Amino acid sequence: MNPSAEIRLVTARELRRSFRSSKGVLLALICVVGGAGVSILFAWMDRMKREAIAAASSGLGGVDLSDAVASAQQPLFEHLYGPATAKALAPAPYSLWMMLMATLWLAPLLISLLDYDAVSGEVQHRSVRFWTVRARRSSYIAGKALGAWLTVLAVTLGMNVIVWGVIVGIGQIPAAQVLTWGPRFFAVTIPISAAWCGVAMLVGSLFRTPMMSLLAISAAFTGLWIASVVAALSERPWLAYLYPNTYDALLLSPNAGDLALGFAGPVVIAAVTTGAAALLFETRDV
Amino acid sequence: MAAVRSSGASSAPAAHEAAVRAVQLTKRFGSKIAVEDVTFTVPQGAVFGLVGPNGAGKTTTFSMLAGYLRPSAGRVEILGFPPTAVDSLRSRVGVLPQDALLPAQDTVGEFLVHMARLQDLPGDKAVSSARERLDDVAGRDWWDQRCGSLSHGMAKRVALAQAFLGEPDVVLLDEPTAGLDPRVAYEVRQLVKAKKGHAAIVISSHNLQELEEICDFAAILDHGKIVTQGSMAELTAANSEVRVQLTPGARRGTNPGEVPISRLRDLPHVITADLHDDGPELVVTFERKDADAETIIGKVLAVLLQNEVRISGVTKGRGLEQRLIDLA
Repeated sequence: MNPSAEIRLVTARELRRSFRSSKGVLLALICVVGGAGVSILFAWMDRMKREAIAAASSGLGGVDLSDAVASAQQPLFEHLYGPATAKALAPAPYSLWMMLMATLWLAPLLISLLDYDAVSGEVQHRSVRFWTVRARRSSYIAGKALGAWLTVLAVTLGMNVIVWGVIVGIGQIPAAQVLTWGPRFFAVTIPISAAWCGVAMLVGSLFRTPMMSLLAISAAFTGLWIASVVAALSERPWLAYLYPNTYDALLLSPNAGDLALGFAGPVVIAAVTTGAAALLFETRDV
Repeated sequence: MAAVRSSGASSAPAAHEAAVRAVQLTKRFGSKIAVEDVTFTVPQGAVFGLVGPNGAGKTTTFSMLAGYLRPSAGRVEILGFPPTAVDSLRSRVGVLPQDALLPAQDTVGEFLVHMARLQDLPGDKAVSSARERLDDVAGRDWWDQRCGSLSHGMAKRVALAQAFLGEPDVVLLDEPTAGLDPRVAYEVRQLVKAKKGHAAIVISSHNLQELEEICDFAAILDHGKIVTQGSMAELTAANSEVRVQLTPGARRGTNPGEVPISRLRDLPHVITADLHDDGPELVVTFERKDADAETIIGKVLAVLLQNEVRISGVTKGRGLEQRLIDLA
């Protein structure tokens, strides 16, 4: 049996485990219900913003509201992403962009809560011993990481779809615009979530108790965020590239080179951390 | 026959016959040496017991055989491969780990089929093999039950079923009957006996009567070292010693009711005959090359009955339990 077949079997089982556990069901429910609530909030904020822009531009004859909204949003996007990306993102619905931000911030939290006991729980109770005599340990780790990533993607996608549905349902934004920007923004979170899953797998698999694993993952995630803050405040910009969410700017860029870099960065982080987790797991006692 | 390092017993198997080989295995946890210089060989098709008191190093040795722990020194070969060579050993080795919890969210069927699939059994074969093994441990009705809802004994039997999935050439069982009720424990022993000759089985257990019943060979560990090993008959002296339990008050002599020691010593093939006060118990040793235990029992009992000695029981050898107490 080749490693990919082992990984496929372990991943399938991990997905089943995640969605069947009470923890997984509860987190998914919170995300979905929370997503619906947040979407109404974002839609309300979007409407207020549009009304303010419409009021401000009412004295200027012949100005299209969409253009006015785009012009109003552009400075914020320019501050965050630079002029080229800001220009490309300017027509995007504000509420969908806010949803992207929420997903990017929520994903690490979700990953840490879903993933912390994936390996440590099975090491603590020695269940892992049923697997290590049948599958390569590297396949076990890769399958676990892949399962966690797919779980997080499924939950966040569910959350996004609900938001898209609510926004279209209340007539805030046309469906065509939601279907243009919604999936595009969600796609940004896909490689970034993979990077967070890799980091969680590396750190979490080092411990034998789930609680230690959860604390260590939280500390590691916080450490990466601090690295990005230090990068912003100091002359060490490279530090920011350790923080997976940094890559959203590149992934939103209309420039193909930036997009490729934005995709490669998180994928490299995911591959290196998962590979390191597998290597360490190969050599340790279980 | 198991290779013997310290007992002076017999005939190591040729390398190609060995299903399991442990060579100078040592495991240290920090400064503590849990297992030191353990060497033994398990022939194909044989049942081998790892025996010893608590803390003797049985489970550590077992864990190195299963690849859970990496030896600090020495090596393990399972069918000629290191235990971590999962792909080479796939479907050829089954393991029952001690105290490993089954995944609580999986149903018994899902768990067993998943394990079978990882052994490279195709989907339908995986299901049929899982059902057959579950039948073997009398768990047919548990297929759809969540593993987390099983009692300790039921979970142990499901874990046992996974160890026998497929047709493994080597099966490693750590405390296979611990926590099982006597009826199920008996069925498990029958299951192991049925595999004799088909698979090499290594059993680590505290249950010495059980090991004595089902093992062909055993190694006795104490303080992380093998104190003796060999065939079960050698270890228990079952092929060189007969013990007769007598009623209290029995003593040497030639009068009716007394034990005629000199007549017993004169019996053909008998080497020694002694009356031990504890019991009291008559211990007769004999030349195992020239006579079997059954023949000697017949002759000894004939002499005792002629002299009207009252007999409580007869055993071949001293039993593994007594042997362990003597050694460890």
